[in-house]
Amino acid sequence: MDSRSSRLSELTSGGGLAALAARSGEPLPHLMAARRRSLEARDAAAARLAELECQEDVSVVVMGSWGRLELTSGSDHDFVVLVGGSPRIAVSPTPAQVGEVLDKPPSRSGAFDGVAYVDHLVTRIGRRADDNDNLTRRMLLVLESMAIAGGAAHEAARRAVIETYIDTRVKDYRPPRFLLNDLQRYWRTICVDFEGKQRDRRSKDKWALRAAKLRTSRKLLFASGLLPVLECHDLTAEEMRTWLGETFAAPPVDRIADAFLRHEAYDAGVRTLVAYDRFLGHLDDEAFRDELRSLSRGDEDRSAAWVEARRLGRQIEEGLLALLFDRDALARLVRQYGLF
Amino acid sequence: MGASTGCFSSLRGDWPALVAAAHEVSSYAAELAALQAREFEGLLSYLDLGPALPFNDLSVHAPTKGLRDPAHLRELLERLPLGIETIVVHPDTLGDGDELAALGSRLIVENMDGRKAFGQTADDLATVFARLPEAGFCFDIAHAWSIDPSMALAGELIDRLASRLREVHLSSLADGRHVGLTDEHAALFAPLLSRCVDVPWILEAPVSAS
Repeated sequence: MDSRSSRLSELTSGGGLAALAARSGEPLPHLMAARRRSLEARDAAAARLAELECQEDVSVVVMGSWGRLELTSGSDHDFVVLVGGSPRIAVSPTPAQVGEVLDKPPSRSGAFDGVAYVDHLVTRIGRRADDNDNLTRRMLLVLESMAIAGGAAHEAARRAVIETYIDTRVKDYRPPRFLLNDLQRYWRTICVDFEGKQRDRRSKDKWALRAAKLRTSRKLLFASGLLPVLECHDLTAEEMRTWLGETFAAPPVDRIADAFLRHEAYDAGVRTLVAYDRFLGHLDDEAFRDELRSLSRGDEDRSAAWVEARRLGRQIEEGLLALLFDRDALARLVRQYGLF
Repeated sequence: MGASTGCFSSLRGDWPALVAAAHEVSSYAAELAALQAREFEGLLSYLDLGPALPFNDLSVHAPTKGLRDPAHLRELLERLPLGIETIVVHPDTLGDGDELAALGSRLIVENMDGRKAFGQTADDLATVFARLPEAGFCFDIAHAWSIDPSMALAGELIDRLASRLREVHLSSLADGRHVGLTDEHAALFAPLLSRCVDVPWILEAPVSAS
């Protein structure tokens, strides 16, 4: 095995969250509980959906906190019915049928609670046809999705999207720029949309909850995509397919924990995931969520919930920055590919 | 990295000037240090005015002198604006109860130097964290060195309290006083400091130009 091959093997060892918890002695109880809850909910939903007809190229895919295996008591059940081809009239199951089976509605976003076609995800990248919903579905399919029906079709769809980014123009030992640019575009889109929502009077009511998630879950999600893409620098184009296919099948916090472990940034890694664990614990607390939901902008410093969420968000950011800028191997990649 | 206002002794009590001086050092982090209870009243009055505090990370060092008891300390700390999210406390001012537990994760507990009877070791601090489970850890690396110049104690503190670490106090010590970090200590402390790059480092004494 040459050094490059062993690098691929090292990259794909996986299981980061449990490994970091074991190494640090930190039980990360809220992350672990959320993972159990998510898998139990998946199994229950899968059993109910098994009673519906599911066409061979169709999958029912959960995204958001469920897709990340971070389900808490306040989570929405975000899903799409994903069809492995182009638009057609008869799709089974229908979103309405799935909605009846799931006991919680998805969030009020155009990206969820509908049908998505893999053809749209892989052909409409960039320009006008790649609207916000299409971008969101494509990115979340790659970064945080899990099938509750049609597992094989879901996996084929995810691989098809990754393959679109790793096309013939990708060079060995160079991070795939197409994917990197789309990933960064998605993160910046989330950030800009957050501000856009604040300007919409109807959406102002939950700004603090949105801001807290932007600083924690969404930032970690972006980093969980950025890190594997940067680490393609060590791989041939063929190895990138294997690596990205495998790593994006793992939950985002596993990818983050794996990166901290691989780059021997154990202390910052533990602090980052302990902070996120604590945030998830708070999110599971209805009183905490209600305090953030009802908080008016300008009253931030009167809310203990906000001050805590802000602090945890900063701790997570500092941990990620330490990983990206204080480990030589990654710092070089961030410098080379992070901005331009 | 940022400065403790304790570095600017000639400005003591003039909080606008102290904040400006700390900001000259760094806009990233600062610690507002008022170690006397009476001095802390002045800090509270200043903070009540809602001044701009242009730092990414800001902590307040709780008083360690002039306190009647832990209830007095709690009464003072509860008057801090809620926006102050990090309050450094000394373990020997906390008493044996859970008087300050309501301050939750806003508290960070600092390890002590050899002059104190309690709070130097990881075992000591474990008893504090058992009573204040939400609290974080402030690692004063010079305090740890003062007890064990081999840095084994410092390493144990970082090993056992890694997940709680929220701030580092950085200086050297001479005759029990914080002085600017010496070159010798900079080299000695470097391996452990490299494990703390994701938390603010607060200079507790001016650093020489070298």
